[in-house]
Amino acid sequence: MENMQAVNNFVAAYLKKKGFKEAEQLLEDLQNKDSAPIDFHNDPELAKFIHHFSQSEDDVARYQDGYSKLRSWTYSSLDLYKHELLRVLYPVFIHSFMDMVAKGHLQEARTFFNNFREDHELMHSRDLQKLEGVLSQSHLEEMEFARSLRQSKVNIKICQYSYDLLLQYLHKTQSTAMLGVINEHINFQVSSGQPSSISDDAEVVTLIGSCQDTANQINQKEIHWGLLEDSLEERLEKAGGLLSDSEKTEEENKEGDGDETKKRSVESGKQGASTKKLKKEKALNATAKSARPEASTTPAAPRVKAKLPLPLMYIQSTEVEQSILEDLRNRVQLSSVLLPSVSFYTFLNTHNGLNCSSISHDGSLVAGGFSDSSLKVWDMAKLGQQGGSSILQAENDSTSSEHVVGPNGGKRSYTLFQGHSGPVHSATFSPLGDFILSSSADTTIRLWSTKLNANLVCYKGHNYPVWDVQFSPVGHYFASASHDRTARIWSMDRIQPLRIMAGHLSDVDCVQWHANCNYIATGSSDKTVRLWDVQNGECVRIFIGHRSMILSLAMSPDGRYMASGDEDGMIMMWDISSGRCITPLMGHSSCVWTVAFSCEGSLLASGSADCTVKLWDVTTSAKVPRNEEKSGNPNRLRLLKTLATKSTPVYSVQFSRRNLLFAAGALSKNL
Amino acid sequence: MSIVAKETIEVIAQSIGINNLSDDAALSLAPDVEYRMREIMQEAIQCMRHSRRTILTTDDVDGALNLRNVEPVYGFTSGGPLQFKRAIGHRDLFYIDDRDVDLKEVIEAPLPKAPLDTGVACHWLAIEGVQPAIPENAPVGVIAAPSNGNTHEQKDELPVDIRLPVKHVLSRELQLYFDKITELTLRKSDSALFKEALVSLATDSGLHPLVPYFTFFVADEVSRGLNDYSLLFALMRIVWSLLQNPHIHIEPYLHQLMPSVVTCLVSKKLGNRIADNHWELRDFTAKLVALICKRFGHVYNTLQTRLTKTLLNALLDPKRALTQHYGAIQGLAALGPNVVRLLILPNLEPYLRLLEPELLLEKQKNEMKRYEAWRVYGALLRAAGQGIYERLKIFPPLPSPPGHTIWKSKEKVVTAVPNKRKASMEPLEDEPALKKIATDGPIGSLALVTTLAPSGQNDAGQPSSSEKKTANRVGKDGQTLKKSAILNQIWKDDLNSGHTLVTLLELLGEGILSFIPSPEISATAAIVCALLSKAIDLKL
Repeated sequence: MENMQAVNNFVAAYLKKKGFKEAEQLLEDLQNKDSAPIDFHNDPELAKFIHHFSQSEDDVARYQDGYSKLRSWTYSSLDLYKHELLRVLYPVFIHSFMDMVAKGHLQEARTFFNNFREDHELMHSRDLQKLEGVLSQSHLEEMEFARSLRQSKVNIKICQYSYDLLLQYLHKTQSTAMLGVINEHINFQVSSGQPSSISDDAEVVTLIGSCQDTANQINQKEIHWGLLEDSLEERLEKAGGLLSDSEKTEEENKEGDGDETKKRSVESGKQGASTKKLKKEKALNATAKSARPEASTTPAAPRVKAKLPLPLMYIQSTEVEQSILEDLRNRVQLSSVLLPSVSFYTFLNTHNGLNCSSISHDGSLVAGGFSDSSLKVWDMAKLGQQGGSSILQAENDSTSSEHVVGPNGGKRSYTLFQGHSGPVHSATFSPLGDFILSSSADTTIRLWSTKLNANLVCYKGHNYPVWDVQFSPVGHYFASASHDRTARIWSMDRIQPLRIMAGHLSDVDCVQWHANCNYIATGSSDKTVRLWDVQNGECVRIFIGHRSMILSLAMSPDGRYMASGDEDGMIMMWDISSGRCITPLMGHSSCVWTVAFSCEGSLLASGSADCTVKLWDVTTSAKVPRNEEKSGNPNRLRLLKTLATKSTPVYSVQFSRRNLLFAAGALSKNL
Repeated sequence: MSIVAKETIEVIAQSIGINNLSDDAALSLAPDVEYRMREIMQEAIQCMRHSRRTILTTDDVDGALNLRNVEPVYGFTSGGPLQFKRAIGHRDLFYIDDRDVDLKEVIEAPLPKAPLDTGVACHWLAIEGVQPAIPENAPVGVIAAPSNGNTHEQKDELPVDIRLPVKHVLSRELQLYFDKITELTLRKSDSALFKEALVSLATDSGLHPLVPYFTFFVADEVSRGLNDYSLLFALMRIVWSLLQNPHIHIEPYLHQLMPSVVTCLVSKKLGNRIADNHWELRDFTAKLVALICKRFGHVYNTLQTRLTKTLLNALLDPKRALTQHYGAIQGLAALGPNVVRLLILPNLEPYLRLLEPELLLEKQKNEMKRYEAWRVYGALLRAAGQGIYERLKIFPPLPSPPGHTIWKSKEKVVTAVPNKRKASMEPLEDEPALKKIATDGPIGSLALVTTLAPSGQNDAGQPSSSEKKTANRVGKDGQTLKKSAILNQIWKDDLNSGHTLVTLLELLGEGILSFIPSPEISATAAIVCALLSKAIDLKL
């Protein structure tokens, strides 16, 4: 009976400590009544367990001890299973830390954290930075990141043998603290057979708030990634067939068109009047044309119907259509052996105030959003005229900077758009270059007309700074991403958003339209990229794999692939239909501010804070069947060329319809 | 526990007027303060990323505070980086120096220059994947840089293997350019076009791929064309221009260039005609050598020592021709006064002994040889003079007034000889441009002096007066020897330079005096003159 009393005391003490008042009350009642005391004798295991539990309250050092033992065991395990077992360490580490904090042993928690953070610094530095600040129980509850970690389980894929090894170890060493953490927070997906390869790591280690299962579930949804029916490209392909029959006479006639020459004058203005260049393009085009039939024999992207009513204005304007068709005809077929020409726009004297830049599709307009709330637009064609082919001169003499400002005297060389009341974080040109949208920290999006040089509409809806705004490929619609964790779809003629996409666990940092306008992709600080159905606002894909905040997104023109760049300089190529990462592209050493696919999707250009533009070959990947991806070597996508600027971080890259690459950035000397 | 110390909390509390914050409160506030701070900084990082920056600024922090609906901290956005100062007496207490500014001062101050307006410049970063070599682009790495090596399948460039000789493709334009320049150099090096070409070589940014070709060209032509004076000069000019070009890294090719340059400096024979002014070429090359040493001496620390060794060997070898000696002296002199002081001056005496017979009409009958000897003597004089001039310039002006008074008082007593000397000195004292003195000054006073004293007859280009000068010099040596003892005492404050000066005076005669800096000259000259006169007085 004495033993019994001791147990009762233990239980009472435990309940009191934990604050379970009702249970305590109940126990007391039971004891008072003294009717049929709970029979613990028959269950020594339970008693032992309870004993353990009460003991562990006092003994936080066991976490430290247990973890360091587990760590050394893991590091000394067989190489074959090591990387699988290593994956367990990180969740155990952060949860042990949070357990210790939750129990109020702050000092120990901190020393524990500092002792072992080195191990995980490489992969999870941003998470660790966040967790480092957690110093009391209240912080754990308040901090969303910590809360979501506590609530969800980490999924870890592990092979049967590794799993057995781990369990064996845990039982043998009696490290209940570790066992508890693992039981509580890790969900093992045990697979029979060989341990998985190391390359799968990235996918597995990321901790996200939502359960991986839901992500998997979401990724099962069907996606129609094909291109729009009756798109201009398609029409061109048909027309191209006709063209080759009716010979070039027709084409030459077209060149005589006033509209065409105008178009070209704009382009030649910005291209430094290099007619040589144009000719070259044409010559290449001839070869490209001959190659085209082959290309079309490969299974073309399937066609889908647009779910949105498309703007008529865009489709019906024949004049515009003609010029676009002309551009498409003159497109250079880029490949790994034929790299694009890059025209670089350098912003000078920005005084660290340039937040974003954007280039219109024909490269004739360049917009910069500044932290002083202004939006400035430069007309490069005009610039060329005023300076008397200043671009050519800029190539020859080094005084180009004075050239831009000089001849205009007091007059500004740009159009100033004022209206925002906070730093402008993003700007985007409509496909035809007649509108600009800008998003600002003042929570609004503004629509400007480049023809009238005036603000047309102010779209209010977001509650926090709007980080990004993007026009849809057909114009009229646009999408925005905000600090309020939503992305929204708008149309130009309504001041209310049409759709609100909610689901990201942190800021939505960037947004991009799918080529067929039926989907948008959003990149977020929660390290995921999500794909949303524009029609019903549902999340249809979650792409997990990045290790830090996502800064840039691009969709391949055939709608099948997506590229995303993050803060660490990694670019990931995703297969949209499967939701899997094809391969990470490593090469940049700092934030990837921008990525863009070339018009036929064979090249990817990326611009980064490390002052380079890199060109990647992505054709090879497209041809490799998906089922080979797992076994194939990870370097299929390769870096073709690094183009270094002098001291200019690259803020935006953009391919023109003729596959001329434009890039822009602000010269910053003190890098 | 928390990185925010309890004391910090207390200080902050005091600063907002809470004096009786309990220890416990401070202790429990500290971790929360840290947590909030970290939170805000993380938001600030977010803001920084969206401003496309990689450096956190105060604006970002303000932005983060804005996101949390907290009033931003005012007063930190403008101006340069904030500087924390350490509080005196405390090891780890820092504060921002926030000075009171008088409004009136601010208002009255002239308006600061308006910052330049933002502009956009456009250039080709790449043309069909190849970066053009224009000033706007980052300079293309030294040939066979690994960055190029990694990119495969670049147009007509083989994948680079380190063991293979690097295949390096010159663009058509560069080839044409090179051909044009070499042709100009070989044929029409005196045309205006060649001058243009030199300017282009010195300024064009895209020439780097041609540097190895140019170095080879120069080396090749120098070894072949030692008889062609104008060609050699043109080649040296090309080297000069290449060195001037800021866009070229010429260091890797220096070792190929140096032999040809040094050849042009100390070769026995440059050009085959009498009319060829090879002296000028040597002078120019000496300047070139000095330029190279100045620019790359710190990168290749053996460069200068090797060079000086070569030159000194040439100088001290009595079998070498006088022209070679001349080149060596010029080369060493161009390297600066220190080199002169360390290498030429110690060897001055034996060398002069060697040179003396060549200078004299009676011993060297060959007019040409004698002219050369005088050229060498002139170069030597100039080198020594410059060396001593630089040396003396370092020292503060000596207290000269007593010298003057002595000089003035003695003037009456002194005999004719020193008087005349002074007369020859006087014009020199006021001339600031030393080189001018070296040529003009003495000649101007020549008329006065020639009969009695040779004084500053250092223009060795006039062999006509050579006999007189040397004759006088020999006679004078006796005088100066005695004087040196007295001089030594006077120059107590700087024995070394005083000594050198005296030695130089002994060896080169008064020609050296014209190199003494003008502020010094009065003092030195006065002292020397005074001493001279004293000596003469004593003798009398």
